[in-house]
Amino acid sequence: MKFKLIVLLILIFAFALYGSAGSRNRESANTAVIQPNASADARRAEGEQRFRTNCGRCHAAPHKFPPRMMATIVRHMRVRATITDDDMKLILFYMTQ
Amino acid sequence: MSKLRLAHVCLRLKRGRPIVNFSILAILITTGVAAFSQETQDLSERPVPILTGSAGYFTNVTAGENALVPIVMPVVLVPLGERWLVESRGRFSAEFERPKGGDGPYGGTVDKDLDYLQVDYIANPHLTITAGRFLTPFGIYNERLYPIWIRDLQVTPLIFPIGTGSSDGGMLRGGFSLNSSVNLNYAAYFSAASTVTAFESDRSTGGRVGFFFPRPRIEVGASWQKLLQEDRTQSEGVHFAWQPPSVPLNLRFEYARGHFGSGYWVEGAYRFSQIPLWNSAMRRTEFVGRMQQFFAGEVSAPSDGEYHLPHSNVQQPDFGLNYYIKDGLKASAAYGRWLGKHNYNVWSLGIAYRFAVPLGILEPQ
Repeated sequence: MKFKLIVLLILIFAFALYGSAGSRNRESANTAVIQPNASADARRAEGEQRFRTNCGRCHAAPHKFPPRMMATIVRHMRVRATITDDDMKLILFYMTQ
Repeated sequence: MSKLRLAHVCLRLKRGRPIVNFSILAILITTGVAAFSQETQDLSERPVPILTGSAGYFTNVTAGENALVPIVMPVVLVPLGERWLVESRGRFSAEFERPKGGDGPYGGTVDKDLDYLQVDYIANPHLTITAGRFLTPFGIYNERLYPIWIRDLQVTPLIFPIGTGSSDGGMLRGGFSLNSSVNLNYAAYFSAASTVTAFESDRSTGGRVGFFFPRPRIEVGASWQKLLQEDRTQSEGVHFAWQPPSVPLNLRFEYARGHFGSGYWVEGAYRFSQIPLWNSAMRRTEFVGRMQQFFAGEVSAPSDGEYHLPHSNVQQPDFGLNYYIKDGLKASAAYGRWLGKHNYNVWSLGIAYRFAVPLGILEPQ
């Protein structure tokens, strides 16, 4: 039983580390896909759209908090509401502008 | 970490229990990765610990019996590095009532609960690993709609106790785009049995999967839970949510079936923002309607705990009005009619407030 648990933990940990390393490349690729030559206005507009689409499903729009608070809140909501990585970045950009 | 200290840790790991050792090693390595990542982040964008949450005060009248219901749900969020988050929510609530007969002062006890105390590790865009005490991922109400400043009606749905609550253990979850028109979100968990005060949980496993279509703003999903103790029963549920882009309307639906019965709730919330008359007031006003039914199973549900299922078939229509006074502050009033073995009215009137304060310096010195 312990052996199985250890194997399971190792697999999860390996997957996490692999993902951590791989995600850096993917993140940069995603950024390039989302914002090829996108201006700040375009990103802001897209961020607002994603905010309404994701956050508005559950609650009314809050006012904007300072950037460091917003970074924490968006991370919390990413976990709580399983928001995608792309959505989180654009929402954070919109909410901190 | 110096070579000498690392060697000392490795030596101790050889002697100790393997699972504990592995966990320590995992934490050391991942913390190191997180610390390294943090060095590359601009200080002004670095997340800061926060104390947030909600507080409210309601007057509920159920079958003619008054109850004064103050509630505070503080949430502490502590981000660590770029990938870690420690989060916790407590709940202090009470139902102060008069003694039977209606005379005398209001009295009662204050319930203190720990809804979650968890560590999240955002491993990659597809996966977040959670450990600790967390909200059981079943349906959409428990995780997303439960806070009093979010819920449209203060009375929780009849089927809320099915599959929900808190669990102690580990969870894998995430959300990502399958393509440009659909996002997938998922959560899978295992919980250990616990009788420790404030950390009570059942030994169970389960999960939830959902598909979100951003353009029409529709989400459909399903949940499953298997109890790994006592009767080893299982629960299933489906959910649906739709927010039409052109109308300020929220439609939500949940169905759940468990050992003690089954039921559904369907709810619509309409914001009067499109009405030109008295627009400054109308856009802050929301009308809510909910219909729900519960079909009792052959076995009666236990009546302990804060939330419990009815013992017989019940249906309950509810209507409510919410007025958003300012950001995070809303007044709400609702009326419902319990239609079961006995019929009675359920009134609720109160106010809910969401707060958020930083626990650190916001601007770099």
